[in-house]
Amino acid sequence: MADEVKKDESGGLDKVSKARAEWEEKVLNPRVAKFNLPKSPTRFHTPADAEGHDFLEKVGFPGQYPYTAGNSPIEFWKAYERLAVEADFRPDWGGTRGVGKYGGFGTASDYRDYLVRMHSMGRVGGPNMAFDLATQCGYDSDSPQAEGEVGRVGVAIDSLRDFATIYEPYTGEKEIDRQPSNFTINAPCVVILAMYYALAKKRGLDPARLRGTPQNDILKEFIARGTYIYPPKPSLRLFRDTLVFMRREMPLMNVNSMGGYHIREAGATRTQDLAFSMANAAAYVEAGLSAGLSVDEFAPKFTFNAFGGSMEFYKEVAFHRASRRIYARMMRDRFGAKKRTSMIIRQPITAHIGCSSTTLQRPLNNWVRACVGGMAAGMSGAVPGVFPPFDEPLGLGHSIEATQMQLDATRVLMYESGITDEADPWAGSYFMESLTDETEAEVLAEMEKIEAMGGAVAAIESGYMPRAVAKSAYERQKRVEAREDLVVGVNCFTGPHEINVSINREVEPTYDPAQMATAEDRQKAALADLKRERDGAAVVKCLKILRGHATDEAKNLMPDIVDCVMADCTLQEICDVMRELFGEYQQAKI
Amino acid sequence: MSGEPKIRVLIAKPGLDGHERGARVIAYGLRDEGFEVIYTGLRQSAIQIATAAVQEDVGVVGLSILSGAHLSLTAKVLEELKKQGADDLLVLVGGMVPEQDKQALLDMGVAEVFTSGTPVSQVAEFIRQNSKSA
Repeated sequence: MADEVKKDESGGLDKVSKARAEWEEKVLNPRVAKFNLPKSPTRFHTPADAEGHDFLEKVGFPGQYPYTAGNSPIEFWKAYERLAVEADFRPDWGGTRGVGKYGGFGTASDYRDYLVRMHSMGRVGGPNMAFDLATQCGYDSDSPQAEGEVGRVGVAIDSLRDFATIYEPYTGEKEIDRQPSNFTINAPCVVILAMYYALAKKRGLDPARLRGTPQNDILKEFIARGTYIYPPKPSLRLFRDTLVFMRREMPLMNVNSMGGYHIREAGATRTQDLAFSMANAAAYVEAGLSAGLSVDEFAPKFTFNAFGGSMEFYKEVAFHRASRRIYARMMRDRFGAKKRTSMIIRQPITAHIGCSSTTLQRPLNNWVRACVGGMAAGMSGAVPGVFPPFDEPLGLGHSIEATQMQLDATRVLMYESGITDEADPWAGSYFMESLTDETEAEVLAEMEKIEAMGGAVAAIESGYMPRAVAKSAYERQKRVEAREDLVVGVNCFTGPHEINVSINREVEPTYDPAQMATAEDRQKAALADLKRERDGAAVVKCLKILRGHATDEAKNLMPDIVDCVMADCTLQEICDVMRELFGEYQQAKI
Repeated sequence: MSGEPKIRVLIAKPGLDGHERGARVIAYGLRDEGFEVIYTGLRQSAIQIATAAVQEDVGVVGLSILSGAHLSLTAKVLEELKKQGADDLLVLVGGMVPEQDKQALLDMGVAEVFTSGTPVSQVAEFIRQNSKSA
């Protein structure tokens, strides 16, 4: 349809269209006929497909609105790429200014001991905490719901005492006002944030100097991942409270780490991934605005962890170009942002294949898959990060070999291929520009649909978003089973002559299984000690004040929650107060 | 398969794990394969799952677990099913299960373990071959 072009001002497009028609007739169609194909399996784009393409409006320069070509002409990792070589830098070790590897297990003291061990090996990054599921769902370790889950997929946190235990090694050079922390926490983010604040206070430090990033992206928990507690509306109110509190008391903290990664991994299409996470971002912006702040007062502290990924190389590059443009336009035109930092998607990575593209079958193939993702990352504005390690689908813990191969693959792309020497290398490609436009149009249409429903919260409450994701997951499964979508080693090339190349699965020892087996009992014993030793009257008093204020929607609950954690109220006691008032979220039927 | 009563399947997510993709896909898929499927949703205790299985009179219970806690959670559900007199049900486990744990689950009384990449049609076929109800 784009081939239909106007005469004079078309800059010779007429000629191109005519030439295309001729090419189709004389070259393309005979080939299609020769191979007996229903239609051509390839496409070819010409200037006619990018008719009216306004470079400055749609792409612009790297670091300039609408940021299609990148957040910045020179990212920090590019600026320091030589330095990284000289320093023998390992990104997963954190360095003295970043966070270390994402992790956490067992009791607070188990995780503390692990961090000390890491420090002794020169891995000095700040804590990058994974919490166990009980903590993520607002349960203490002695709760019946926590049985079997304590310390499993992350560290167990019941009280400020646990939190302080983890931070014992972080003093002096590693003091908490010198090194950042990451908290992958959503529903009980208010409590963890209060603990971080309280810890600084207890150490006589100014919380205004604390740096770090809580995930604090509760809306996606209702769409995917599932560690919600309260219904969406009160959850968003608590998000607002954290936002306002951080801006006022801990202004160096990032407010959140949003993203569509979990949504896509749960089965969403590319369009749903971006549209849903943009709708969520809009809801977070509105929460900040509703508190009386201006968008530029908080949006620069919004971050994204990642969007989803897939093996579809071109589409993932287009996705990131479109995502930057969509977010920038939404922030500027809809919310009136003026600062550059309010309009850019601040995230550590761009494209990748997504863990759900990896296969359990013939797992070494995942290394090749991840390298494709690394290429797409390098061509869409990020470190050419090869992710995940090939043994991702084999269970918890990446092997030493897989981790090394992942790191080296990234380095090969970075230092040998030169793919990051050009910012937005696809800019101006007839094909990529039209694909970026197509992606944007589809996402904007879906965003409008959600807006018409009343926004992200309404689209969650009605079950629309979770249901759409589940349906897409099933559609994908059907395509794989029908061999419409091919996955090597899964639904094709699986004959008896194919072999499973053997691999090493030696995982770096993180914990002693015998110690892990007793973690739940030890954590429960420590909690029992706390409950016996603390000032019961103070606990009751603090929780009562919290209960009183929680009923007033306008009230910011963070100061009360800080008082609660200071008085050694437990995480669940605090969450229970709000559970009682706000209720618990009930999933919409799928 | 017309005329025959449909085999009833309960798909359940024990524990606090929120990874729901597999459970949802299996629920949709088995429904399309002609089974009657009940999906419990997230965060179900062993008692809730066993009770639902008995009340809904299902022939098959499929547990979806991706948190690494498959051994303890499955054992609890099996124990609870036994307590409620429903230990003749076909119990299946799906999710992230390392090879070495597979046998442990089978020894416990699980009929089969399906890990990622398993076609729904294969699960359906297994149920048809092994289910005593219907």
